[in-house]
Amino acid sequence: MRFIRILLLMMFALMLFQGASAQEGDQESKPDQYVKIRVLPERNIVKPGDEILIGIEQSIYPQWHTYWRNPGDSGAEPRVEWDMPDGFAIGNIHWPTPHKIPYGPLMNFGYSDNAILLQKLTIPETLPDGPITLTATVEILVCKDICIPESGEYTITLNDKSIPPEDNSAYLAAAQAHLPVPVPWHASYEVDGQDVVLKVQSDNISFDSIKPEGFEFFPLEWGLIDNPTPSKTTLYQNEIVMAQGRGERSLNEIKATEIILAFTNSENQRQAVSFIASHTTSTQGTGFIGAKNLKPVASTSITKALLFALLGGLILNLMPCVFPVLSIKALSLAKSAEKDPGHAKLSGLAYTAGVMLSFIAIAAALIGLKSAGAGIGWGFQLQDPLVVAALAYLLFIIGLNLTGVFEIRGHFGNFGDKLTQGDGLAGSFFTGVLATLVATPCTAPFMAAAIGYALIQPAYVSLSIFAALGLGLALPYLALSFVPALQQILPKPGAWMNIFRQFLAFPMFASAMWLVWVLSQQTDSMGLLHILIGLVMLAFGFWLLNHSPKKKSARSLVQILAALTFLSAVFLLPFNSKENETPRIESLSLGETYSPEKLASVLLTDDPVFVEMTAAWCITCKVNHAVAIDIDSTRKLFTDKNIHYLVGDWTNYDEEITDFLNSYGRNGVPIYVYYGPRDIVTGKRTAPKLLPQVLTPSIVERELNKL
Amino acid sequence: MSRKIAFMLAAMVLLIMLALPVYAAPQIGQPAPDFTATDIDGNEFTLSEFKGKKVILEWTNHQCPFVVKHYGSGNMQATQKTATDKGVIWVSIVSSAEGNQGHVTPDEARTIMTEADAHPSAKILDPSGTIGHLYEASTTPHMFVIDEEGILAYAGAIDSKSSPNPATIEGATNYVLAALDDLEADRPVATAQTQPYGCGVKYSH
Repeated sequence: MRFIRILLLMMFALMLFQGASAQEGDQESKPDQYVKIRVLPERNIVKPGDEILIGIEQSIYPQWHTYWRNPGDSGAEPRVEWDMPDGFAIGNIHWPTPHKIPYGPLMNFGYSDNAILLQKLTIPETLPDGPITLTATVEILVCKDICIPESGEYTITLNDKSIPPEDNSAYLAAAQAHLPVPVPWHASYEVDGQDVVLKVQSDNISFDSIKPEGFEFFPLEWGLIDNPTPSKTTLYQNEIVMAQGRGERSLNEIKATEIILAFTNSENQRQAVSFIASHTTSTQGTGFIGAKNLKPVASTSITKALLFALLGGLILNLMPCVFPVLSIKALSLAKSAEKDPGHAKLSGLAYTAGVMLSFIAIAAALIGLKSAGAGIGWGFQLQDPLVVAALAYLLFIIGLNLTGVFEIRGHFGNFGDKLTQGDGLAGSFFTGVLATLVATPCTAPFMAAAIGYALIQPAYVSLSIFAALGLGLALPYLALSFVPALQQILPKPGAWMNIFRQFLAFPMFASAMWLVWVLSQQTDSMGLLHILIGLVMLAFGFWLLNHSPKKKSARSLVQILAALTFLSAVFLLPFNSKENETPRIESLSLGETYSPEKLASVLLTDDPVFVEMTAAWCITCKVNHAVAIDIDSTRKLFTDKNIHYLVGDWTNYDEEITDFLNSYGRNGVPIYVYYGPRDIVTGKRTAPKLLPQVLTPSIVERELNKL
Repeated sequence: MSRKIAFMLAAMVLLIMLALPVYAAPQIGQPAPDFTATDIDGNEFTLSEFKGKKVILEWTNHQCPFVVKHYGSGNMQATQKTATDKGVIWVSIVSSAEGNQGHVTPDEARTIMTEADAHPSAKILDPSGTIGHLYEASTTPHMFVIDEEGILAYAGAIDSKSSPNPATIEGATNYVLAALDDLEADRPVATAQTQPYGCGVKYSH
């Protein structure tokens, strides 16, 4: 292997020689090298754990030039490879501000005369005694009319007592001062006819005092601008607008790029800043890295999706919020079916209709909202604190009813008496509606991903999937009402049913409690207190009603009092919830908060990136996080691989996260996306990898090690 | 009167159509700009004659180190052979202006081809840079793949490693062969556009 490398190096050297000899006709006296390289450590005496700068100094022959990271229309960026002892770590190259170098009709970005590339070297915590040598192999293309690739190996020796101490810190600090200064300016670009227009805003800088003539911008991404065309700059109070001919690449491919903006300051010196700019369009922000993953589902998988939906609906019957309502309804059936089997069948059908219509209505409403441009996904019903609180109230009231705190004597919706007696088709229908309603908080946490998937399909597919889900939910009761043999299995009604009914209140209370916990993630402690008071008010109101005195005047008073407590419970609902409240996720200690800008900026580094989208109400997300991500081995993997870990919290509505989900063809959480490290040679990343929605430590390890 | 107007309109449309290929940069998924050229053996041909066959355009300059990288290692010839064996038309184009690096006479061009054992379907000398500007060719090498319908399917670098070091050829993705494979399999070309790398084309200044 070593031999092959040497052979290739020799071939390369020979090629260089040929390249050089090809210009024998040149009149200039040729130097040995058109670019002289020196590799300079900040100092040559280091201690364990130190961080020092390394400068790669290019002294370029007059009128020749070398290249920036994006070389422009032709050329190639220089490459530096380090051969270092174990434990040493070298950082990314910091590039000085490039210049525009015209070449015929082409435009290159690079350096002439002098340029110093800077890298940060980290010295390990344990450092052996005696001299340490590090070798940099530098390959650099240098051009004038013609191009010549030059290369060499440069060695630096640290902690060698036999050579005098060297201190280049002042020289490298001066070089560092010439690097573009990273600034947190807000920048975006868009297509305007034949031009790309870059808009840069900063609240605390006045641009209008700077001369617009000296402005030049250098995008790190190729193909954004037509390199040779000059840019037109307009300066406003806090805004810079630059227009330049559009490049050959579609902007859909360039979602964000680092931009170097160079200008002449008031002291007539060239100065530069760097920032991230992202692509904006006036159309919907659905496109993002990976938007091409979005494909409509094939017909074979529609059947599969329908089957899964049916199965999911069946499982819903066992959810703590649905099970109590249904079991009581089922038990009542046994009693009524004996008397009138025909009525039992009708009641089963009415219930099925109630469930399926409710599901279809929800799906239709969702599709309507989505096509109207609302960036929502499944689980949206739990993103609004008002809905969460209202559902908590509902489940709590059902629980109260089951324990026998009150009985409703009304037309429909009597979960106790009427359900157990099983009369009235309307009653059955509304039991179906109620079952769907109480099932919604349970579908979001367990089925968010699956339903989210259904929602990005064409409308008829989404509706079918929701209908199948409803059918699944209704199926056990439907079967029970049609098959007398099944009714025989049910226990005979009796006094025990009352105790069983009271027992079923506890799953309801548990569900309500869970919703209150979700709410606690969405609101502050005051909001939480309001809801808890509201729950007490509800209980008090129902208790009052259940014990209204016989005397008419006293009864009215008690009823008014009850009405007032109910009203106060309603007023305690979180009507004006703050939008975009800062997410409070426990996992943030491990990762950083997701934002499109943050993702764009970490994607510009060479390191891998892991994005997790989660929500407080998403049980699958919580389990995955606890089982496969927030564990020692995965944390170690993240640290070892230097992975940037971004977490987005979808507990509350967040358009940017919805956009991200859409770009991967998803409409719900969880989602886990892994962007592999940048290939050092090609400078490119492989396509982002979607991890499964159910994670185990070994899946995470396998997927992260693959790239 | 109306006939006159019709004639004028027709003339304008014709003019615009003639002018379009000159000013419109070639775009992926759009018809490749047509041109007529005479190869080093004196054969005149038009690009559109090759409709029904795939065509590869290769900008070259035998003295450019990046071209030397791919010819010295045999990579370009191998790519060329793979393509022409499949019936693809391979056109090598030299747009170096007179007095600039890479400018050659037809005889010199033939010698270079023989020495390198290169067998393109045609080699064109374009010292005026007309075809080069038509395609906005910026580097040597700069590669263009045109499908059977005359639609530009790929434009950019020969491969994924923009180093002049031939050791990087191993392990690099050859975008031209990848595009041909995609076209043959009737798939959309996965990588249809890349940043070309190499020496600048030596157009007259």
